[in-house]
Amino acid sequence: MSVLAGKELRIVGFLCNWCSYGGADTAGTARAVQPTDLRIIRVPCSGRVNPLFVLKALINGADGVLVSGCHPRDCHYSAGNYYARRRLELLKEFLPVIGINPDRFEYTWVSASEGQRWKDVVTNFTNRIHALGPAPRWEDVPARYDRPEELIESIRPLGCGEHPALPELRQAVKDALAEGLEGVLGWKKGFDAVHAEPVFMTTPEEVDSLIWGPFNVHNLAVYLPQYKGRKIGVVVKGCDSKGVVELLAENLISREDVKIFGMGCNGTVSLPRILAKLPEGVKIESCTGRGNKITVTAGGQDYEMTMAEVAQDKCRLCTKPNAVLSDVFVGTPTTEPAAPADGRLPGLRFLDSLSLEERMGYWKGQMERCIACHACRGACPMCVCRDYCVSDTRDPAWVTQEDTVQQKLFFQLIHAQHLAGRCTGCTECERACPMDIPVFALKQQFGRMIQKIFSYGAGLDVNATPPLLTYQVEEPTIKEHDLA
Amino acid sequence: MKIGVFVCHCGSNIEATVDTATVAKIALTYPDVVFSEDTMYTCSEPGQENIVQAIKKHGLDGVVVASCSPRMHEPTFRRTVERAGLNRYMFEMANIREHVSWIGRDREANTNKAAELVRLAVEKLRRNAPLYAKQFDVTKRVLVIGGGVAGIQAALDAAESGIGVVMVERESTIGGKMAKLDKTFPTIDCSSCVLAPKMVDVAQNPNITLYAHSEVESISGFVGNFTVKIRKRATYVDWDKCTGCGTCTEKCPTKNVPDAFNEDISTCRAINIPFPQAIPKKATINPDYCRKIKEGKCGVCAKVCPTGAIVYDMVDEIVEEKVGAIIAATGYDLVDWTVYKEYGGGTYPDVITSLQYERMMSASGPTAGHIHRPSDGMEPKNIVFIQCVGSRDCSIGRPYCSGFCCMYTAKQAIMTKDHLPDAEAFVFYMDIRAPGKMYDEFTRRAQEEYGVQYIRGRVSAIQPTVRPDGRVGYIVRGADTLLGESVEVDADMVVLAVGVEGSKGAGNLAEKLRISYDHYGFFMESHVKLRPVETNTAGVYLAGVCQGPKDIPASVAQGSAAAAKVMALFSKPKLENDPQVSVVDIKRCVACGKCIQVCPYQAIEEVEIRGQKKAHVIETVCQGCGVCTATCPQGAIQVAHFTDNQLLAEVNALCLS
Repeated sequence: MSVLAGKELRIVGFLCNWCSYGGADTAGTARAVQPTDLRIIRVPCSGRVNPLFVLKALINGADGVLVSGCHPRDCHYSAGNYYARRRLELLKEFLPVIGINPDRFEYTWVSASEGQRWKDVVTNFTNRIHALGPAPRWEDVPARYDRPEELIESIRPLGCGEHPALPELRQAVKDALAEGLEGVLGWKKGFDAVHAEPVFMTTPEEVDSLIWGPFNVHNLAVYLPQYKGRKIGVVVKGCDSKGVVELLAENLISREDVKIFGMGCNGTVSLPRILAKLPEGVKIESCTGRGNKITVTAGGQDYEMTMAEVAQDKCRLCTKPNAVLSDVFVGTPTTEPAAPADGRLPGLRFLDSLSLEERMGYWKGQMERCIACHACRGACPMCVCRDYCVSDTRDPAWVTQEDTVQQKLFFQLIHAQHLAGRCTGCTECERACPMDIPVFALKQQFGRMIQKIFSYGAGLDVNATPPLLTYQVEEPTIKEHDLA
Repeated sequence: MKIGVFVCHCGSNIEATVDTATVAKIALTYPDVVFSEDTMYTCSEPGQENIVQAIKKHGLDGVVVASCSPRMHEPTFRRTVERAGLNRYMFEMANIREHVSWIGRDREANTNKAAELVRLAVEKLRRNAPLYAKQFDVTKRVLVIGGGVAGIQAALDAAESGIGVVMVERESTIGGKMAKLDKTFPTIDCSSCVLAPKMVDVAQNPNITLYAHSEVESISGFVGNFTVKIRKRATYVDWDKCTGCGTCTEKCPTKNVPDAFNEDISTCRAINIPFPQAIPKKATINPDYCRKIKEGKCGVCAKVCPTGAIVYDMVDEIVEEKVGAIIAATGYDLVDWTVYKEYGGGTYPDVITSLQYERMMSASGPTAGHIHRPSDGMEPKNIVFIQCVGSRDCSIGRPYCSGFCCMYTAKQAIMTKDHLPDAEAFVFYMDIRAPGKMYDEFTRRAQEEYGVQYIRGRVSAIQPTVRPDGRVGYIVRGADTLLGESVEVDADMVVLAVGVEGSKGAGNLAEKLRISYDHYGFFMESHVKLRPVETNTAGVYLAGVCQGPKDIPASVAQGSAAAAKVMALFSKPKLENDPQVSVVDIKRCVACGKCIQVCPYQAIEEVEIRGQKKAHVIETVCQGCGVCTATCPQGAIQVAHFTDNQLLAEVNALCLS
């Protein structure tokens, strides 16, 4: 649908039926003249407004989106607007990371009696959008392909030698199998010396193949929901254990069904960083680690590298190298460093340095590579929809099969939105991406804002409730956005 | 699908600023639209018949009406399409009046916008599905909150028809503001003589359960099945034993308690019965003043009570009542007039409110009906009445008229002349608003028969002075806008006709009731003209001043109207739910339980279907807010009529070019 050329901009409003839609009616009945740009979509409650509707409208080219509901404490459904307030506040804080000006989105409260207030809200918001002008179109924004590979300095010593407690760990797993566990998830050596692969150990022989070290990159928590109701074990690094805790907190697995084996972690590697140091296509013959040094033998030649050069970003900033929850913890725990004061976040640091339009171009450039394989989804321990992902169905039809940057980015937005307040930051989505698209930044932005608004980190407490699934009547950290 | 579109002129309401014929023409280009026309008054009898005929003639299976707000006529048109054999939910409205023609002046922009709103409605309708209501049982009892005259009338009417009534009153007696009045206009009837028999009826009616000195703690549930928790505040007197003999009150040594019933112009005892006709006529101890409760000393009342009713360690009690409907009749309080520093802001003893004056004139009041000014007990000679104190005054944020002050001021001026024939009464007024039966005549009688001097203008200041005889006087300075000159009246006493606002705590109650309220604490009715006693929350009704300023007959009428609404609601053996509720697609549900966690109504439960855990919606409990739908990551739970696909279709219709 075309907007009235030159006169109007495309502004979409989501109004709750009981308060704000009534307020708009009251304004109309009072003949309160308003700008004509706004198109109102009636919803039962502001709590009905999935933030993805707002993102959909903005990605599809809306110049502004307004959500209005009943005032806090006055929700027709008693609590819908409390949920809306948390979700929409977070959304507003999220928007800049994908290059959308947060001023293009607003949410506010207007009651059915407040015709004048509604007129002011519409007038002020419309004026604001006109001042911003038409939203940049994805088609018009120049794609950027630059993505400086920065090596974040580690906040803790990283190591890659043989873990002295590994025999003890193997014994503990064997004991547990003997006591009746159906199997234990761990890692074994993969097709070459730098690749590990997950193993479901059921016999003592399989347990002897269990390894521990810098190549145990996979977060095995991802397999746990499919074993729900069966008694199994899982070996975890600190970061993996947060996934287990979050699954427990969300009742997606039961505490009595899963036995957690932990050992202090000294960091894992980024395989692309190792492979980049080797000639392309060379066959890796062996690999040894000692202290901070890794020696890879490939094509008959030794290649030396340090953990400082090849460790994953998340390991460099890891403050939880030991399992946050475990039944069996063997060996000496790794010293836990304090979080760096500067809050450095790789990925976001670069995005933060770009202008809004440059960020849009950045995502356009990155998402052009996406082949929609959804490996990011498969690797994510918190993606519990599995075969019922909303992106794989027409009912509801959130994404189409169109091969456009918008559709592919929207899938990432769905993933990030579903993980808001639940993502434990294991970065498996990004590691699993065969096209090396930095998709974790989207979840990281939500995580950063969740921390800022709700002082909450996922995966630390089995009794915690993710902040978007609850509310407070008074939200001391959310400022009211008054448009009137 | 075959969709018909009807674009309403609404006379000139829409047609004046929207080209409806063009909108109808554009609508024909939308997908699935096979019929489209503009009509003069779609909601009229022929307009509706036209829709019925079009459905039959063109085999329509969905209808869009572009006219006024769905909050106005959606029920009307749903019945229309139902008459023609369609499911009532195969209908959508585009609001091109309140949201288009009445707020935009540019005909071209309005026409374009109207066409787009029709497009939204069409796109949504294409994804509508027939919905069918479920039936559920009703608790045929009504909760009446507030025992003023409106609440009393509602309770008596409902009880008369056989409905059980639970009445909750915050004070220790029912009667409300009317019980405080001496006389009523325009007949100078004795207020308590009119009201007291009704109060007694409340006490004696077996269908009415009265909780006085109590407040609504919480309300859960929905129309037909509310659960109300009532906090019975501690009275420190066992009311089952108290006979209301008053011995305790006579003997209580604590005499300095502000008497709230007498608007604080006198004091009462720490154990008190507000007035002789109180219902229930039971004593209540004020724990802020009682020496026994505060200091552990005294205990006189317990000693003198002939029935041993005093219980010093009584605590609040919470009782639970099940009701099917609720009538809010919480009345009003006076605006805080102390913001008027030019009137002394509450520091001049002889500047009082009209309600205080009412108590002063009442035979059951502290002065036994004799008018003595508070400062020195002198019988005033010159009394000035100032109207619109806290009404029609934007400077203090009170733009509205409190409605009944003109009338009671005239009444009080007449009563003044009755009590003190030698006194002079002056009334400063802005306009005299007397639009009721015998009302204007009454204000004329005040002026012509009783010689009350009406001065049109506002008072700018009240200046206390000391007269030669040493007594205090008050120079009232104002303007006479009819003569165009300033006036000064040397008054002995000034009575302020203070405006009204929603009762204290009204906002809090509105939130428990989930109804809207305005800045002034008045509850919002469902439709200002056509649904004045209903609210937007099904099963919750309004009576009396809690909805807006009104006098006694209007409050009584509204009380009866609210009761009639409840009777109509309860006349059906079962209620039907709104089928716009959430539905779980069990194929997609992974039983993560997030919907159960966020549902405000506990309407979702976990069930086991063929050995697999799934979410299940209890249809008659679900209210259709859709919070679950916005939460479910798989999109497995969808609120009917507002599904993801319906809203996405609307978003896409707007945003994809």
